[in-house]
Amino acid sequence: MSVTLYLGCVIRSLYPEVEKAVKETLNRVSIHFEEPKDASCCAPLGFFSLNRNVWLRLNERNMRLFQSTVVTACDDCFASLSDAFKIVSEKNGIKAPEVKPFEKIMMEKLEERGMVFSFKGLRCAVQHSCHLLRPARGMDDAENPRMVKRILERLGYLPIPYEGELDCCGGLVFEDRMSRVLADRKTRALEESGADCVVVTCSHCMRQLKSVSKLPVLHLAQLSALSLDVKPGEIGVPETLVRRMVKP
Amino acid sequence: MFVKHRFIRERRGLISRLREKGAGDLLKCIQCGSCTSACTVNAVDEEFNPRRMIGLITRFNKLPDQDPWLCATCSLCVERCPQSVNPLSIILALRMIRHEDGNKLPDKVAEMIEQVKKTGFAFPLNQEARDKRMLLGLPEFRISEEGLNEIRKIITEAGF
Repeated sequence: MSVTLYLGCVIRSLYPEVEKAVKETLNRVSIHFEEPKDASCCAPLGFFSLNRNVWLRLNERNMRLFQSTVVTACDDCFASLSDAFKIVSEKNGIKAPEVKPFEKIMMEKLEERGMVFSFKGLRCAVQHSCHLLRPARGMDDAENPRMVKRILERLGYLPIPYEGELDCCGGLVFEDRMSRVLADRKTRALEESGADCVVVTCSHCMRQLKSVSKLPVLHLAQLSALSLDVKPGEIGVPETLVRRMVKP
Repeated sequence: MFVKHRFIRERRGLISRLREKGAGDLLKCIQCGSCTSACTVNAVDEEFNPRRMIGLITRFNKLPDQDPWLCATCSLCVERCPQSVNPLSIILALRMIRHEDGNKLPDKVAEMIEQVKKTGFAFPLNQEARDKRMLLGLPEFRISEEGLNEIRKIITEAGF
């Protein structure tokens, strides 16, 4: 199986350890990937909300560079690319490549191979990405998301419920005061949840929660790679978390 | 009669301006308030009220005062709207109109646009990340000069 890997600006520039984790995971589940080096930012309307034409033209250009199913590692990229591709392909009458978030391809692989990993007991509070769920793009239930939790269970972790699970973290609010109010509200809920760590699938959630949360914030790919025996140090998983896990 | 006529024309003016910028079908709005009761930002700041913003446009032909940049783009309003109005698309169109009318962009947004123009990416690679990438054996990434010119052309042609 061969895919186009689209990591996005934030992961490549700010979180190389997540990039490493995504690549190690794909390697270990035998998904071959290539990265078109000339692809640009996906210019999501959340911050590029100035001109729809720029958003569409930048992604029309990206689309030309992608030859196979596109796998994203950030749910904001997923939403931006899939929405733009849909409009561009309808306008030009050409077939757009499929866009799948990392968690979707991971779920498919785990199910296809019947993979279940030993229980590690790490309690995970999932930060559900708004842009994975809404407006519904057929990936998960918009009001009662389960996909990331099911993946975590298969990987041997313990997803836990908590108050305000669906609340937005405010990671894409560019007005500082409001961004902070939403971040604080979310962090309080996460810290009171009794979780050992927070799990995200969107790089804006990651940026936002890392800036305020006392809990370690990990991308699902980091926990996936850890279950697949990648050394924690290579993928930025803190030792304190590894020590807390149940030994098989 | 004349007044009524002018009123309708002006109202259409604002609505068609919003529509050009991707706003959904505003006139289907029944002012039920599902958007506001779902709104992430309204829950912490009652002044930010999508129902009221849409009502001001459709019923009074007025541009709302509320800062559309407060919106978190969480899209709950889109999911919950019983009329499929897509309130988020209206708020995004309001951002575009404000920009067109000469209002300043949030600093972080302006900075990201500059970065995309310069490098093709919204978030620049700093030295710490560069070192970390090398340590992890990750490849360098840079868009070709030809590619960058294409990207810059798209952005500058739109007037940025």
